[in-house]
This record gives sequence, C-alpha cells and structure tokens, in this order.
Amino acid sequence: MTSNVPATYQEVFKTDRGVVYQCDVTNRLVLEFWDTHTQLSARDFAQFRRMVETIDVRQMALSTDAAYDVEILTPPRSERCYVLTLCEIIHLRELLNGAKLMLELNTMLRECGCSLSKY
Amino acid sequence: MKDLARLRTSIKESVELALNQQIQMEMISSSKYLAMAGWCDRNGLDYSAGFFYKQSEEERNHGMKIFHYLCDQGATAYSPEVPAVSQEFDSFRSVFEAALEQEIAVTDSINRIIGICRRESDFASEELMKWYVKEQMEEEYIARRCLDLFDQIPADQIYYLDQKVSSVTYDGNVFEA
Repeated sequence: MTSNVPATYQEVFKTDRGVVYQCDVTNRLVLEFWDTHTQLSARDFAQFRRMVETIDVRQMALSTDAAYDVEILTPPRSERCYVLTLCEIIHLRELLNGAKLMLELNTMLRECGCSLSKY
Repeated sequence: MKDLARLRTSIKESVELALNQQIQMEMISSSKYLAMAGWCDRNGLDYSAGFFYKQSEEERNHGMKIFHYLCDQGATAYSPEVPAVSQEFDSFRSVFEAALEQEIAVTDSINRIIGICRRESDFASEELMKWYVKEQMEEEYIARRCLDLFDQIPADQIYYLDQKVSSVTYDGNVFEA
C-alpha cells in the first residue's frame, strides 16, 4: 500500500496501472486507475466491471473508423467519465477481473469460516 | 475484510446474470405469443387468439416473478431488451409448432439455470426454479396436446379445431396432485 492511502483502505488487487481497494468503514470499493480515484458500492462495482467486460474490443481493434478509437464509460452513480483507448480497456479489465477474483476468494474463505488478514 | 457483495445480496453474479437472461427469455416468449395471438385474430381463429393472449400474459408474469425475486433479494434486475419477433406464420399448425419449440427452449434454459444454482450452492434460487420446472411440464404438455389435435381433427373442421386447441388444459401434473 502506498503511504498516502487511508488506513481504512485494504488492497484487493493491484496491477502496474492501478489498484482496487476496499474500505470496510464506508463499505465501498475504491478504483485507482491512471491517477483517478472512484468510490463504488459493491453493486456498482459489479455493474461497472460488466460494462468494461462487454466492450467489443475486437471491433475497436479492427475498425478504422475514428468512432472506435476510444470508448467512453461512466461508472454508475459517479460523476467521473473514462475515455479509454483499446490498451487502457485491456488494462482496466485485468484490474477489475483480478479484483473480482480476489473478492470471490474472500467470499469462499468466509463461507469456510476463515477470513483474509486485515493487513 | 468484509464481504461487501454478500452483505448486499445472497445471489452470486453468475446466478444473477442467468436469471436476468431468463427474464429476457420470458419476455421474448410473451412477445412471440402476442404475435401468434395477433395472427390468429387476423385469420378468424378467435378461440386460439384468446388462448395465445392468455399465454402471452402468463409468460410476462413468469418474467416478472424472477424480476421481483431479484429485487427482493438485493440483486439487480434489468428491464430486458425484446428484439423484433416474427409476425407471420405459414399455417395454423405452424403457430403451435413454434409455440412448442419456444417452450422446449425455455425448459432447457430453466434446467441450465438449476445447474448454475447447484454449482453456486444457491438453494433459494434453485427452489424458485423448481416452480418453473413444474410449470414447464404443463406448458410443454399443452403445446404437444394441441399439435396432437391437428392430427386427430380433419383439417376442414377448422372452427372445431380452433375451439378444441384453445381449451386444452393440464390437470394431471404429478407434482401438484
């Protein structure tokens, strides 16, 4: 965890391009991507991940039309607007899917009566 | 670390996705039955038109049942996109053949969802889906019985055939006896 991150934030998943934290005080997931911080509820996080997952990256890669150069995404109940290139979408997917996997692991551990250590 | 998703709902994402797809399928079924009702109405088959109007309403209710379940459980239910459906049919018989095919597709989909529920140990959703299993037995029976009548009643007795196919019911569902 970097030093300027609030103490209540727990790192869920990290890549070279970003981090997903969980804050148990506010019950929010925090997406840090390209120097932006977006707080999302668990529901909105799942919805945003699906939005990113359903982008037709094949179309973006193959089309010469300028309209397919970037994808504009607004996370639910957020004032932020992401304008992402193909590479950025791939990086964001990696981050969100990694976070999803770790959150599922947390669920499995809790179902088994275990829990991830706080730090 | 808190399990935020579990605090929100007991329904896993894969089950939520499958149930939303089922809502869409039920709404598409409703739209198809409405098209069948319209075709029957246009061709003077009043009894069958009434039968399909009722079926259309029933399919919508099936979709809404899942929609309310998802909302009540804290999951997200999406109002589905319903694509254009075929409005024309080759014959009176082909309408019922299309109905049976649709019901078989719905049954297959329900069975697939039960498989997902079992994989995720989601017993509540599985219980809901069991209601649909019984319902599909009835729906498939009625569609098949209607097609049988097309073989049993001479084609020139179209008024009688229209009356008979619209009155087919299934009273012998072994799960509800």
